[in-house]
Amino acid sequence: MEEVEMTTAIDTTQTVVAAPFAASSDHALPDTSVVLKLRNVDAFYGPRRVVRDISLDIARNAITAIIGPSGSGKSTLLRCIDRMHEVVPHARATGLIEYRGIDLYDRRIDPAAVRRSIGMVFQQPNPFPTMSIFDNVAAPARFNGLIQGRNGASDLVEQCLKRAALWDEVKDKLRQSGTSLSGGQQQRLCIARALAMAPDVLLMDEPCSALDPIATLQIEQLMVELKASYTILIVTHNMQQAARVSDRTAFLTMGEDGAGYLVEEGPTGRIFTQPRERLTEDYISGRFG
Amino acid sequence: MVAEYQTLLKPTSRSRRLQANLVVILATVATLIALVPLVAVASYVISQGAGVINLDFLTQDPPGDLSATGGGIRNAITGTLEMAGVATLIAAPIGILVAIFNTEVGGRIGAASRFIIDVLAALPSIVVGIFVYALVVVAQGHFSGFAGSLALAIIMLPVIVVSTEEMFRLLPRPISEGARALGFTRWRTYLSVFIPTALSGIFTGLLLAVSRAVGETAPLIFTSLGNNFFSTDMNEPMQALPLLIYRNALNSAFPAARDRAMGAALTLVAIVLAFNLLGRWLVSRRRLARNPGR
Amino acid sequence: MVRRRLRDGDLPFRVLALVVTAATLAVISLMMFDSVQTAWPIFQQFGIIGFVTGQEWSPAFTVYGAWPFLYGTLVTSAIALAIAVPISILIALLVTEILPPRLSQPVAIVVDLLAAVPSVVWGLWGLLVLLPIIRPFEHDVASGLGRVIPFLGGPTPGPSYFAAGLIVAMMIIPIVAAVTREVFAATPRLQREAVQALGGTRWDVVQRVVLPLGRTGIVAAVLLGLGRAIGETIAVTMVVGNNPLVGGSIFSPGYTLASVIANEFNEATETLHPEALIALGVVLLALAIAVNGAGLMVRRRFERSAGRGR
Repeated sequence: MEEVEMTTAIDTTQTVVAAPFAASSDHALPDTSVVLKLRNVDAFYGPRRVVRDISLDIARNAITAIIGPSGSGKSTLLRCIDRMHEVVPHARATGLIEYRGIDLYDRRIDPAAVRRSIGMVFQQPNPFPTMSIFDNVAAPARFNGLIQGRNGASDLVEQCLKRAALWDEVKDKLRQSGTSLSGGQQQRLCIARALAMAPDVLLMDEPCSALDPIATLQIEQLMVELKASYTILIVTHNMQQAARVSDRTAFLTMGEDGAGYLVEEGPTGRIFTQPRERLTEDYISGRFG
Repeated sequence: MVAEYQTLLKPTSRSRRLQANLVVILATVATLIALVPLVAVASYVISQGAGVINLDFLTQDPPGDLSATGGGIRNAITGTLEMAGVATLIAAPIGILVAIFNTEVGGRIGAASRFIIDVLAALPSIVVGIFVYALVVVAQGHFSGFAGSLALAIIMLPVIVVSTEEMFRLLPRPISEGARALGFTRWRTYLSVFIPTALSGIFTGLLLAVSRAVGETAPLIFTSLGNNFFSTDMNEPMQALPLLIYRNALNSAFPAARDRAMGAALTLVAIVLAFNLLGRWLVSRRRLARNPGR
Repeated sequence: MVRRRLRDGDLPFRVLALVVTAATLAVISLMMFDSVQTAWPIFQQFGIIGFVTGQEWSPAFTVYGAWPFLYGTLVTSAIALAIAVPISILIALLVTEILPPRLSQPVAIVVDLLAAVPSVVWGLWGLLVLLPIIRPFEHDVASGLGRVIPFLGGPTPGPSYFAAGLIVAMMIIPIVAAVTREVFAATPRLQREAVQALGGTRWDVVQRVVLPLGRTGIVAAVLLGLGRAIGETIAVTMVVGNNPLVGGSIFSPGYTLASVIANEFNEATETLHPEALIALGVVLLALAIAVNGAGLMVRRRFERSAGRGR
């Protein structure tokens, strides 16, 4: 996927006139390839601001990584997108988050509906403990009332498990408990479950941090396979992972006011080899975080 | 935009939305149903009892004959407060010591002790009355305010033990480790550090225990028995508000008895509420002090 | 002890705590033993099983049987639970799942206030206000459904198992609701968010996560309420009708273990009457220990599964 590179001044203090937002970014994604638009997003826990004024475009069928030190609001930002942030008491978000042209925070929109189109995989694998592997994957379709036909469930389960590269390993034990799998398998199960709702965006919040290196590699491989059909946004504190896997990278850090803000964003290759911001360079070379 | 929303965002089907709303409605209705009796009792007691209470009512003793008008509930008020006071004097130190024991001693013995306290907490109050009757009243040969206090103390004990144990468990680690590092022996630490720090919490537990004891009737029926005359002698049968209410309620066919019962009920509720709210207020103040501005 | 500066403040204090605790437990055990001993002649005369299942209670003829009262305790408790448990679960759901935090705190406190009303005041209100109100209701049900289901039949003089069950329900709602609230609040956030992230509605979260994971805890709460219900004395004795016979319907007047003891104790002049009442107390005690013991075991199991220690 090619993007048009707008020529910008190397001097980072100069903001490009046409840029709608202040952070350095290759904002030149053509509109048709943008699936999610974030503009001036703030997030709060009660009176405390944890995410400040973030504007970002997420490209379709690509993996975008959000990196940064802890406390920079990466996970919070992610959770704002599928409206999981507000689940915590006294938490709220402001600003514009547009998905395919729809303002996700519009009053008329039911948060549950948002979450059916934008899937999420958590840091800690969380298969339903009281359900079998089969039921875990079928669950979202079941309680959203979407199972069609007698074979609807088993077709869906097989399809999702195949997409999550788990089918071969579990096809003979579908009725066993979801928690009887290894960590990496459980996480792939959770991915399969998220895919069962046929989302087209998948949010992944540090999906590998609770897994061993081999399982991590499997998940990373899976992500690259999935991006052909889905848009993936992954939060990770592992820079190497971001460099390996993602097409675009956004770097967040905590400001003096304790809120996270966007420092720089662009194609992964460039961010890691020719970062525009000093902070980015410092983070990437390990000088902080 | 709404049309796009319908196709793109998989809105919740109507039946599921109805289900979700139904639960909200049911839960709200259930809560309101539960609150109706509270409001009803409160308003009844206040409306019926308020007119009865006046200075005479609070400072005179009841007439010998329940059906006679006039008189008051003085002996019941003093009896209640006196027995509750003695009960606290008995139960508080024992309760705190047992709580220390339970916190410190692990293994089988500690578990057994905690278990027995749990069982004690679950005893019906009338059974406690029987216990004290069998042991004290029979031995002494007569009913007494002391026996009543003892019964109340037994009822208060598990409440105090559990809430004090809770307080000790919630003590921040730095305090405990700090005392250790200064060379205090474990048990000395309790006296000089833990108890003073946990004092307000322990006090709250005491208040809640007292508010419970003050409202109890059953254990007093065959321990302190009740008394028509004014008496502060712990060795004599003693009157208490719940007992007075009970006896007058059973005779509520007589308007005088009925009024007396209502006035006494309002007085009792006021006392219980006072202790209860004071305890809760202390809890909230402690919580605020610990987390300012959160 | 505070004045003297002991080298090792440990030993005396330790001994004091140990002695006091042991003494307390010993005194309690002594009381229990004493009561059983006092009641022993009754058990000797009628046999333990015989006494517990004996249907006749006639002090004048020195015939004592606990069954009418045991029956009454069980029936009123069952009615109380049937009313209180669904309401308490719904209240707990409202407070933990539905209301925003600013509202849920005050609502929880107000429900807890139900527990502050002394038993005797409930009884007074029940006697003077509730009985007259529910009497027509009892009458209607008895003449309607009651024709078909004898358990719901008449006659309906007013004071009854049902009235007692109703009052007791009001008294145990705050306890059951409070414990259930804690159970629901302990639902692991991860499980809850799993359902939410998949587009589940509030009811989905409740149905698929909160209730299934809280099942054990709810049982513990119910047992706790039952333990309270069987011991309720004064409020019950004012509305239950005080009839030492096994009533055929929930609207019959009856008696419970606790209320008969309270009622008859001070007038117990017949042969073995006081002993018989104490024997009833022993039966009640056994019942209370059984119920609360079961409740404790369930509660420990729940706390262990929720990953917390006591």
